[in-house]
Parts: sequence; structure tokens; C-alpha cells
Amino acid sequence: MYEAPVQRLIDELARLPGIGQKSAQRLAFHILHIEAEDANRLAGAIVAMREQVRLCRRCFNVTDSEECTICRDLRRDSSEVCVVERAQDIVVVERTQEFRGRYHVLGGSISPIEGIGPDQLRMRELVVRVDDEKIVEVIVATNPTVEGDTTALYLARLLKPLGVKVTRLASGLPVGGDLDYADEITLGRALAGRREL
Amino acid sequence: MGLRNDQGIVLRGFPFGEADRVVVLLSPNHGKVRAVAKGVRRTKSRFGGRLEPFTHVDLVLYEGRNLDTITQVSVIEAHAGLRGDLDRVLAAGTMVEVIDAVTQENESSLRAFLLLQRGLSALDDGPRHPDMVAAFLLKAADVVGIAPAFEHCAGCGRTADLTRFSFAAGGVLCERDRTPGAVALRPGLTGYLAGLARSDLANLPDHDAGFSGEAMGVTRRFIEYHLDRRLKSLTVDG
Repeated sequence: MYEAPVQRLIDELARLPGIGQKSAQRLAFHILHIEAEDANRLAGAIVAMREQVRLCRRCFNVTDSEECTICRDLRRDSSEVCVVERAQDIVVVERTQEFRGRYHVLGGSISPIEGIGPDQLRMRELVVRVDDEKIVEVIVATNPTVEGDTTALYLARLLKPLGVKVTRLASGLPVGGDLDYADEITLGRALAGRREL
Repeated sequence: MGLRNDQGIVLRGFPFGEADRVVVLLSPNHGKVRAVAKGVRRTKSRFGGRLEPFTHVDLVLYEGRNLDTITQVSVIEAHAGLRGDLDRVLAAGTMVEVIDAVTQENESSLRAFLLLQRGLSALDDGPRHPDMVAAFLLKAADVVGIAPAFEHCAGCGRTADLTRFSFAAGGVLCERDRTPGAVALRPGLTGYLAGLARSDLANLPDHDAGFSGEAMGVTRRFIEYHLDRRLKSLTVDG
């Protein structure tokens, strides 16, 4: 056991995901040895994030104002919405620079085994958006897992009767990968979704 | 400790660490097996896609002190068709949940394994029978030794005058043995339930829309009563 203030920080850091006691100890001693100003900046960043960040009222992305920067950006195509499980997934799709529409964060995926149903996700809010914002296409970008696929099927059943086009991200081979190492399920989907050149 | 071969049906999995997943499988000989699949959440993982729920796989495991590590996986049956149909995937979720609830680690579970294998195959192969899940739940009750009595009174064994169903007594009761909690069943329902319990999952009796909802209701309450837990997957409404 260290002196109380050091031990307190170690205990707090060890509660973070992926940080064990040893890593927490290393981080705590690092913080102990940096300039006071740097330590204050770190503490300030944590407090400010907690105080200022909220969810976008339209898409449920994290933001520091009523609406996130993507929803406020008038140059974005409002007729296309990409549905993701978590706010972190928006950054991943944005990195592709292929999508110029808006997003909708569900807050998870349907999991029959865990008892997570559509009512626990932001499905109703999406239906309202489809109506209000004249959305033409909903691109489902949930994970290619049983839960993600189930969510995509549910969304298709929910939204198609509203006259909106529902599409799903394609599954296939990773760029730079070796065909030899592809599992048969992914390769099967890649074959099913092949494109004419 | 060392390498061992096994096979199993993936029941579920949950994220573990940065990119790993703990997978829970049902092995015919070892019961429920928990094993770590390293790096499978990365898109370049070689076998992530093979360890999704409902997949029947052949495995090589490295035995660890707490958790085994999966080092090789090959697919025996992917049941890929299930994932393309919402009703089937929800039904498969209930099958997996009930088998997960009635099996233990380090305990042979050949009957439960075969039942799940047949159930998933029946769902994957043909058009889904509306009472497939009810039939599966009745068979799962049989596997764990709590099969409800439908053709004779659970109290005295009589075969006549069977008008009530008792969740606590474990089946139908005659008028003489009826208990306060026993519910009245519509004439013909016990015969329909008995037919579902008896038949092969791939060859269930003709569906009777008049009995379907009630058959599922009775079966669900029976299983939940004896497992002493709600079946979460049945609360998910597709």
C-alpha cells in the first residue's frame, strides 16, 4: 500500500477498462513526476469532458452543444442516414471519407440471448427522423455479428413499409489480406456480394 | 495443461480485453466450455467469423489455468441461413438461451448438445414451424428430467378427466387431484402439446393456429417456473 493520495489514484485508474493494478501504478507514478501544470491539464480535461459533453438531440452522437457538428453541417446530405451501434463508430465511418450523409446512434444492438430488444435502443427516434427529415436511404452499419445482423433485419422490417431504402454494409475480405486465411463465412458473404467489373 | 481437441456449438460470447472475446460453447462431452479467442474482434482475425453464436465448430484448445485459449477453429455447420431471417434468429436465440441455462461446465451434455444441434438444423433447413420453439422447450425439459406429463395425471397417473395443468406438479391433473394453482386448458390443447413433445423437430405435427399461442404460453411458463428465471430472449419482440 502506498500513501493515501497515491493509492487513491492507483485505485481509480485501475477501475478503467483494460488497466490492471500494475499499469495503474505505472500511470500514477508517471503523473506524480510530470509538471503540476500538465497534471492539472489532464484533470481539467476529464472534468470538462464530463461537464460539457452530452448527446446530440438529433443523432445521439456525443457533442458539446444541442446538435453535433455533423448534424449542424448543412453541406451534409440529409437524405442518407448511417445507423451505427455506438458513437465511436461514427469516427470509424468518417475516416473512410466515403460517406457524406448523417448518422444515427442506436446505443447497442438487439441481442435475443441477452434480452436486449428494440425498445432498449433508439429505434423509435429513428422512425421519427425518417418521417421528419425526408430520409431516402438508411445504411445499417451495425457490426457483422449475430446481434448486428439481427438489428439490421429488424430495422429493415421496421423501415421498409415507410418507403425508405434500407441497405447494409457489405461483408468481405479485408484489403491487404490473404485469401488463404479468410474464414469460410466471410468468404461466402464476399462471394454472395461480388460485383461485376 | 496442453493442447486438446474438442467440438461444440457456440452459445454466446462477450468482449474481453482490447480485441479478444470469451466464447461459451456447448461441447457434447465437456458441457459448457469457456475459452478465450484472441484478437477475434479485429477485422483481420482469421477465425472471428467462425465463433459467432449458433455455429457448430471443431476446435483446438490450449488448456490454461482459468480459461482455455482457442488456437484453431474449423466450421462443421455454420447455420448461416439463420442470420438472414429475423424470426429464425430470435427462435435460435431462445434455443441457445434455454440450453445455456440447463447445462453445466465439466459435465457431459450429449443429449442437450444433440437437441440443440437438431433444433438449429431444423430452423435452418426448412420453413419455420410456428411452434418450433415450444416443441424445443418441451424437449429441453425432457433432457433435464422435468418433462411435463400430458397423457396421464401428474398426481395419480389416471388417464381420464384431465382438465387442469399444474406448473408445480409438472403436468396435467385430473379433477380429483386439481390444486388451487392449476390452470384450466382448452379441450385438445394437451393432445397438441403431447404431439409437439413427441415429434421430431424436423417433422412436427401440422400447425394449429387455434392452439399455437396458448401452447407457447403454457410451455414458457412451465420452463420458467422450473428454471426459476425468465427467458430473456422471449421478451425480445421481433
